[in-house]
Amino acid sequence: MLELKKIRVQFGDKQVLKDISIKFQPGEIIGLVAPNGTGKSTLMNVIMNYLSPNQGQVILNHELQYSSKANEVKIHQGVSMMPDQSDLYNHVSGKNHLKIYQAMWNSNPKLIEDTIVQLGMESYVKKKTGTYSLGMRQRLCFAMQIVSDTQVMLMDEVMNGLDPTHVELISQILLQKKAEGKTIIIASHLLENLEQYADRIFFMKTGELKLVDELVPGFTDNKVTTVRVSNFSQEHLEVFKKQFSGLHVQTLPSGKTLIDVSKQDTETLGSITQYLIAQQLTDFSFGKLTLNDLYSMEYQQK
Amino acid sequence: MWAYFKWEFKQFFTNKKNIAVYVILLFLGLYFVLKVAPSYEPIEKVDVAEMEARFTTRDDFIKSVEGKDNIHPSVAFALAVFPQWNEYDRARIDAINEKDYLKYAEATAGWYLYSDQLTVNGDSFFYNPLYYTYGNNYAHADGHYGYGYTASRFTGYVEGSSELSMDLFEERTALQTLQRMLNDYLPIVLFISCILLSVDIVLKDRRNPSLLKGFPISDWKKLLMKGLVAFVGSILSFVPLYVVLIAIGLQNGFGDFSLPVPFYSYIEQNFTNMTMSTFLLKNILFIGVWFLFLIAIILFLSIIVKAEFANLFVSFIIIAAEWFYFERVMGAYSDIERYPTSYVQVGQVISGYRNFVYQSPDLTYQHGLTIIGCCTLFLVILTLIVSKFKRFKLIA
Repeated sequence: MLELKKIRVQFGDKQVLKDISIKFQPGEIIGLVAPNGTGKSTLMNVIMNYLSPNQGQVILNHELQYSSKANEVKIHQGVSMMPDQSDLYNHVSGKNHLKIYQAMWNSNPKLIEDTIVQLGMESYVKKKTGTYSLGMRQRLCFAMQIVSDTQVMLMDEVMNGLDPTHVELISQILLQKKAEGKTIIIASHLLENLEQYADRIFFMKTGELKLVDELVPGFTDNKVTTVRVSNFSQEHLEVFKKQFSGLHVQTLPSGKTLIDVSKQDTETLGSITQYLIAQQLTDFSFGKLTLNDLYSMEYQQK
Repeated sequence: MWAYFKWEFKQFFTNKKNIAVYVILLFLGLYFVLKVAPSYEPIEKVDVAEMEARFTTRDDFIKSVEGKDNIHPSVAFALAVFPQWNEYDRARIDAINEKDYLKYAEATAGWYLYSDQLTVNGDSFFYNPLYYTYGNNYAHADGHYGYGYTASRFTGYVEGSSELSMDLFEERTALQTLQRMLNDYLPIVLFISCILLSVDIVLKDRRNPSLLKGFPISDWKKLLMKGLVAFVGSILSFVPLYVVLIAIGLQNGFGDFSLPVPFYSYIEQNFTNMTMSTFLLKNILFIGVWFLFLIAIILFLSIIVKAEFANLFVSFIIIAAEWFYFERVMGAYSDIERYPTSYVQVGQVISGYRNFVYQSPDLTYQHGLTIIGCCTLFLVILTLIVSKFKRFKLIA
């Protein structure tokens, strides 16, 4: 288990992380969502002790803290962070990158071949990484972390540069690692994808971690909570708001209008449907609030 | 830790800058073989024409004044010393003509000893004119050193069992060439190579931070492994030397490890011989300790200053410092033996030449090893302490 206790990071007057306290359990995938520059990477750097917090502790398995250099080594045996694809050695083959990660963490050598096959890297893994495309480099970085086989894995933008097939492939491996009891913390902008496998998703805002279930109660519940309408003109919207004055209506910067129907009965839902059809607004759907919606509401709302 | 060593080792030998250093060393070696070595002209060469000219001049002089009365004291002195001198020259000439190299070595050792005795304290005779170069205020002393060195060397040939040859007498064989190079600028070339090879051993990691920062190995062990890799890499800079040795050996013979190498004792003011193997082993050990010292400087600066320029600047200052303060005989009035920089001419320290030019009995091989070793240890301990600080980051 990984525990963060009152982590505070401040750069000058700006508090990037505000007394963050949280526990990450084994067999759990955690999603971190936020625009760039809001502290996701800072948080990961603190977990790795690449950055010393102004206050607070990182505790692994109830006992290990970054209190000494010896402890740092012990924690790094159990916690790893996916390397950045721009940091690969261009003159070294992908396989040699995997070998050094396997050797440094003294993991099972069989993992190298298994991971290569699983990620479909057989055709290029022996070539120098300087010849790789962005997606190939990204897969290699992911493979390196999988090969390290640590108890806690931190991944910053793991899906960057990947095509949908590989996004799906990596998602499956993440679920497999979760089943093996790994704790995986992922910062990602592929929100729909993150929703598929993350057990808990946090938004980072003003230096704090906010669980989406707390931002929107019942977010993860499987029931209809929202009507999503496209091309709702301002004129129609005003009329709609007057007619359904008890409903919370919100238009996102993307142009989508969200109507909160979480506490409405079927009769109201029927009325809304009739109204929309009568106004020729046929591009609408019933469902639940998505992570994209929430992201838009939290970070893009004017 | 072994895995990290292997990783660093691979990086070291695939580093383009390091490959360039080895290639440059190889080219320097080839240049030495093709240009420098063939043009080597020893001062004390085997020159039969010169011996005969000397012999004839003295013999004519003896014949012209022999039996005369009322001769000038200096003529009397010449008459007293020339016969013996000519006897040595005659023996040398005959030995060369008969190709009896052992006899030549014996006569030559005697000739140099005798010549030195006559020349060192008097003003009637001079050493080989090649010592008296423009601006050399210590030419007479250099001649004394050169004659003593040559006498000791030839005595060694007589007492030893090496196969003698003209190339051997003129120190042209491969091992003797190496010995001359070690007494010359070879150690400096090797030290510069060591600096260039090691200069980025720590700071290169800044190009791949996210890949390396999380390795579960302590910063201290990383530094230790980096130092070890730099040391092995520096030792391998000897490899181009083998090419030089083989090429020279094929031309002039290889020599052997029991060849005598004269060692000057400042206290006793004379030469004794050590074997070539002893001389080379002492050089390898001393150069090895110097490598460790330079690497320790680079490791320490890399974690403190974190700039490759600082690594280059400080380590070059260390090996060039002696040029700034060097003056002959300054050992008589200053403690130059306390500065590690005074031991940079490794071969000259081992052969005692540095004692001779500094006029200091303390600038010894053992003293040098102790000082350089202690400085290295001190830097390693400082590096250890800094790397153990909780807030220390090897890769920022």
